[in-house]
Amino acid sequence: MSVTLDKRPVPEDVPADIVEDELQRQRRGRQLRYAGVTVALGVLAFGVFVVTMMVGSYRLTGEQVLRSIFGVGSTPEVDFIVLELRLPVATAGFAVGLALGVAGTLFQRLLRNPLASPDFVGVSSGASLTAVTGIVILNAQDITVPALALGGALVSSVLMYLLAFKDGISGYRFILIGIGVSAFMSGLVSYVITRGTLHDAREAMHWLVGSVGLSGETETRLLVVALVVLLPLTAALSTQLRSLELGDDSARALGTRVQLAHLALIAISVALTGLATAAAGPIAFVALVAGPVANRLLGPAAGGVLAAGFVGATLLMSADLVAVHMFPAELPTGVVTGLVGAPYLLWLLATSNKEGAGG
Amino acid sequence: MKSRLRAENLSLGYDDRTIVQSLDLDIIDGRVTAIVGANACGKSTLLRGLARLLRPRSGQVLLDDTPMSHLATKEVAKVLGLLPQTPVAPDGITVGDLVSRGRHPHLSWFRHWNAEDKQAVARALEDTDTQDLLGRPIQQLSGGQRQRVWVAMALAQDTDLLLLDEPTTFLDISHQVELLRLLRKLNETSGKTIVVVLHDLNLACRYAQHLIAMADGHIVAEGPPSEIVTASLVEKVFGLPCVVVPDPISGTPMVVPAAD
Repeated sequence: MSVTLDKRPVPEDVPADIVEDELQRQRRGRQLRYAGVTVALGVLAFGVFVVTMMVGSYRLTGEQVLRSIFGVGSTPEVDFIVLELRLPVATAGFAVGLALGVAGTLFQRLLRNPLASPDFVGVSSGASLTAVTGIVILNAQDITVPALALGGALVSSVLMYLLAFKDGISGYRFILIGIGVSAFMSGLVSYVITRGTLHDAREAMHWLVGSVGLSGETETRLLVVALVVLLPLTAALSTQLRSLELGDDSARALGTRVQLAHLALIAISVALTGLATAAAGPIAFVALVAGPVANRLLGPAAGGVLAAGFVGATLLMSADLVAVHMFPAELPTGVVTGLVGAPYLLWLLATSNKEGAGG
Repeated sequence: MKSRLRAENLSLGYDDRTIVQSLDLDIIDGRVTAIVGANACGKSTLLRGLARLLRPRSGQVLLDDTPMSHLATKEVAKVLGLLPQTPVAPDGITVGDLVSRGRHPHLSWFRHWNAEDKQAVARALEDTDTQDLLGRPIQQLSGGQRQRVWVAMALAQDTDLLLLDEPTTFLDISHQVELLRLLRKLNETSGKTIVVVLHDLNLACRYAQHLIAMADGHIVAEGPPSEIVTASLVEKVFGLPCVVVPDPISGTPMVVPAAD
């Protein structure tokens, strides 16, 4: 906030009502910025959502796409292209990005560490292990692979929770155990791939990079249902998150049921990450990047869950646009998010160590 | 003497270590009580136990004669506040935002932020003289200012009892005195019951009306500083041979280490 009381000459005793007014003014400022940024990001995400349905071998205008989606004065040809061919992929992109963004920022705020996104602490790698095992060893097809991925995410999360549990969950412990579990699972994934035929191994590698195009109708529908149910729940829990951010002791002193809130928030993040991974594979970095980008826009300590979700959706759909249309051959989405995310991770590691952040 | 906060046969510990052993304690209403003792004597553990941050191994903590484990934690938070030893703040959070979060136990789905909350926060800022810092990020403040802001957050919670875990640890002598004067002032103006874990015995004697001296998880002595602080008690609690003389300003006991 640009205006601060301490910049003006302050009389010995500032009367109470001035302090109250200033307090209220700053509070309103924070709320307006929060609402404004969230709505703007929502509009942006919807804009990219529409754009992804405009481009392709047959180009459409934004108006044609919107008319077709909302069913007002569209033609059967356009309806076929939009509703049958492009809307399912666009919806998958939107939902996967939203889920990853929300899950990432929940983990980061809960564990008070910008590195603590679900793709780093073993949730995605658990999904990868079971999915790759399914592809390579069981020759699993269709819906079996996403189902295995979801199961893997859940099992590895329960494992981490049990390993990290010690009178509750502490941030550093959970992250270190998560990274350990993640490394272990990745090792197993490599082993499983070496056991497979060339064809299966290729398919597994493709799944591991992650791509919106992989996502089938059932997985997308499940993810959308989960988002509809879990997002309001997350909003309800976000007041608890505001006290959890002050440390477990302070949160408990403020009357938050710390363990219950931890468990609920972790469960939501894991469910969203698991379902997103089941739909599109373990797309890297979206969960890691979305929260910090949203927070930069929302202002210090505002912590918007929905805003992070919209950033995630925008990032993922944009990355998929680039991956599918900007190269001579279509690339998986994960290649592009990796190219953008890896430098960010390096920057994060370099700067957060300097500031001693985390924990 | 009345006590809203009491411990009965309380044992506390971490993992397989029991630190506080079957301890009985009444916190006297409307007083500033200081818990003192050598490092690792269990004084912070006791405070955490009293604030329900640690589940008792055995025994119980009673608030208004009800075992705390039977009370909803949010209801306890309206009566009992705590400033932990190392509180953490999200990056870039402003003083106003942080202190406002002290209102957490009073807010719910059905009870939104209103004038009462605004007034409580403004009062907390004024009581701690931090109103000028309102829009500043807490990370930019000096250690003394920051500690006053944390106290302000605990005050915004508006509880009758306030527990502080070594609030003076990272402060220089003038800021230590400033903080203890503030606690004493809060106690005198609002009748708040304050329990504070302190390292410095001389400051504890000077600013607390009631002292609890601990060693090895037990209470060794308890009472007004001028009645209980003697050379033999200090030797027993801290293992330091010393002379106890009256503080030249306040007349409270002052510990001077014995000749080398």
